Amino acid sequence: MNGGKTYVSPDDARPPRTHKTGPVSSKPDATEDRHIFRLKGVSKRWAGEHGFILTVPTLTIGKAEKLALVGFSGCGKSTLLDLLAMVLRPDDAGEFLFFSGIENRLDVKAAWRRKDLDMLANARMLHMGYVLQTGGLFPFLPVRDNIGLSRQGLGLPAKDAVEAVAKKLNIERHLDKLPGQLSVGERQRVAIARAMAHEPSVVIADEPTASLDPINADEIMALFTGLADEYGVTLIVATHDWGRVAERGFRRVEFSLEQDVTDGAVRARVCG
Amino acid sequence: MRLGKMENLHGFETVVRLSLRDYFHERLLSICAVLGLAAVLAPLLVLFGVKSGIINTMADRLIEDPRNREVSPVGSGRYGVDWFAAATKLPEVAFVIPQTRSIAANMVLFNQDAGEPRTVPVDLIPTGEGDPLLLKWGRIPADDTSVVLSASAARKLNVTTEKEISGRVGRSVGGIKEQVTVKLKVAAVLPIGAFPREAAFVRLRLLEATEDYRDGRGSETFGWPGNERPPGPREYPSFRLYARSIYDVGDLRDRFTDQGMEVYTKVEEIEIVRSLDRSFTLIFRLISIVAVFGYFASMASNVLANVNRKSRHLGITRLIGFSTGSIIWFPVVQSIATSILGTLTAVCLYLITELMINRLFSQYLSAGEYVCRLSAAHLLIALGFTLVMSILASAYAAFRVARIEPSEVIRDV
Repeated sequence: MNGGKTYVSPDDARPPRTHKTGPVSSKPDATEDRHIFRLKGVSKRWAGEHGFILTVPTLTIGKAEKLALVGFSGCGKSTLLDLLAMVLRPDDAGEFLFFSGIENRLDVKAAWRRKDLDMLANARMLHMGYVLQTGGLFPFLPVRDNIGLSRQGLGLPAKDAVEAVAKKLNIERHLDKLPGQLSVGERQRVAIARAMAHEPSVVIADEPTASLDPINADEIMALFTGLADEYGVTLIVATHDWGRVAERGFRRVEFSLEQDVTDGAVRARVCG
Repeated sequence: MRLGKMENLHGFETVVRLSLRDYFHERLLSICAVLGLAAVLAPLLVLFGVKSGIINTMADRLIEDPRNREVSPVGSGRYGVDWFAAATKLPEVAFVIPQTRSIAANMVLFNQDAGEPRTVPVDLIPTGEGDPLLLKWGRIPADDTSVVLSASAARKLNVTTEKEISGRVGRSVGGIKEQVTVKLKVAAVLPIGAFPREAAFVRLRLLEATEDYRDGRGSETFGWPGNERPPGPREYPSFRLYARSIYDVGDLRDRFTDQGMEVYTKVEEIEIVRSLDRSFTLIFRLISIVAVFGYFASMASNVLANVNRKSRHLGITRLIGFSTGSIIWFPVVQSIATSILGTLTAVCLYLITELMINRLFSQYLSAGEYVCRLSAAHLLIALGFTLVMSILASAYAAFRVARIEPSEVIRDV
């Protein structure tokens, strides 16, 4: 499954991932090595004028799968993305597992309960990439260093891998520029490159093409999904525009919204 | 676990690099912060420099000025050889020498080289090895016929160093006036202010011979006629005594007062300068506490504003997966950079000011004296202190960074 990661130079030796996610229990489960996320009964509540509750009755995401979370803004897409990116603490969770590699299971629920934020951060740096709708790049770093940030943070050699992924996204001529010198579309390519450069298991993208003109949006989405397929990376994209991704092999996950008549709270359920 | 630590180190290094890159990228704001720090620190350094320069110069002058260390008896007493032997051994005493009867301790000096002869009656002051007054301003007479003249005596005689003069001592024995003359050589002339009267500092032997001659006795050393001196140890009515430092003067006075002696000292004047020093120190401390508080507040608010302004970037740093322990160094590193650059700027400004102040007052200062002065150690302490302050000032900002929730900040537009 990971055999598609051809852009890594041969001298780029990494320690086996099994040592890196911290305490890991491996229960024999035939399905686990095909999953990347498994959520059961996960929910997040937002206090507010009326309140908002997102519930994930059950959501299983397979390795190298492409998943599109489709819905209007405010339906809970970003909340689910942040839950999956392990930067948002769920209020309830029956089960919340992240399988970063074969026989390598991180109990996200337990880590949140222990407030072990560094363990979650470490898992993010090793196994995840995140693409925001806009920005997210460091304005003071040249494109090269922006892309190589996770690799530097992990102590991995950056130069070859950064140049390889930049080439695939057609931004290699911008490597020594600052993000401020680039167009919005070019910046999104840099953001995708950064999310990919450290060979993560999963890349999460929140409306990655929503700020772009349709031509650029299509081109970049094509590059993005192509890269994900090529490297065997699980791709989770939130979008309000199913049409943009419909032809690209995404599984569609939707949100059902209903308003509680008694307290006015909006209840969102993930239907996947 | 080993791997985990290595990762934290990589993360730490990367965050330090990010922080410094950001600091450089926003160099205009960074320069403002550096100048802000220098603006607080430079006047403070000048203030401390002036304080330490003036007070040290004043204290040195006070300590070094032998006149402030002099302890002299009021009236006349009877001090034997034993008393002087004991006094020499006192830890507070730098120099002590017997003084003969003041009525006999004088002679008339005359200089015949200067066209019309000039005569000046002078007091004879005993001196010897280790006399602080002569060590500071003149030199110790090498032999029994060398003299050191006070400024006014030398002026009235119109003589300078190395000149030959004569001294005349007269007496009346049975109504017959007699006098002897001794050839003297001027070893040194004291500056004005070192000694107020017309006086000649001479070896004790010449003083004792003068006293004996007045008593009708002779002196073999100087070939003066007269009776034999009766055997037995001498006793002296007075003495010249100098304390080791101004801080010993009070103790010496107490010691002599306990012995029933009344002495004259400059304890009161010394106490005035010492209390001035204490008041100055207090004032400087108060000023620096206010300045330090101001600096702390400005540094802390600066760092905090920075962290709030950059919360999105810091949130993204967390989103990428840098550990809390690494990210909190982001504001601290910038704060440290500001404190190092700010201190260096302040030290440069201070050194220029120090040069100007000392040049301005150079005519009032002798070699090795400064109006404004800080040692390299002082400047290093200032740097260390600023570093500690900057780390403390950025501690709350670092705490805020640790509490940043990526999900709350990464979608800020």
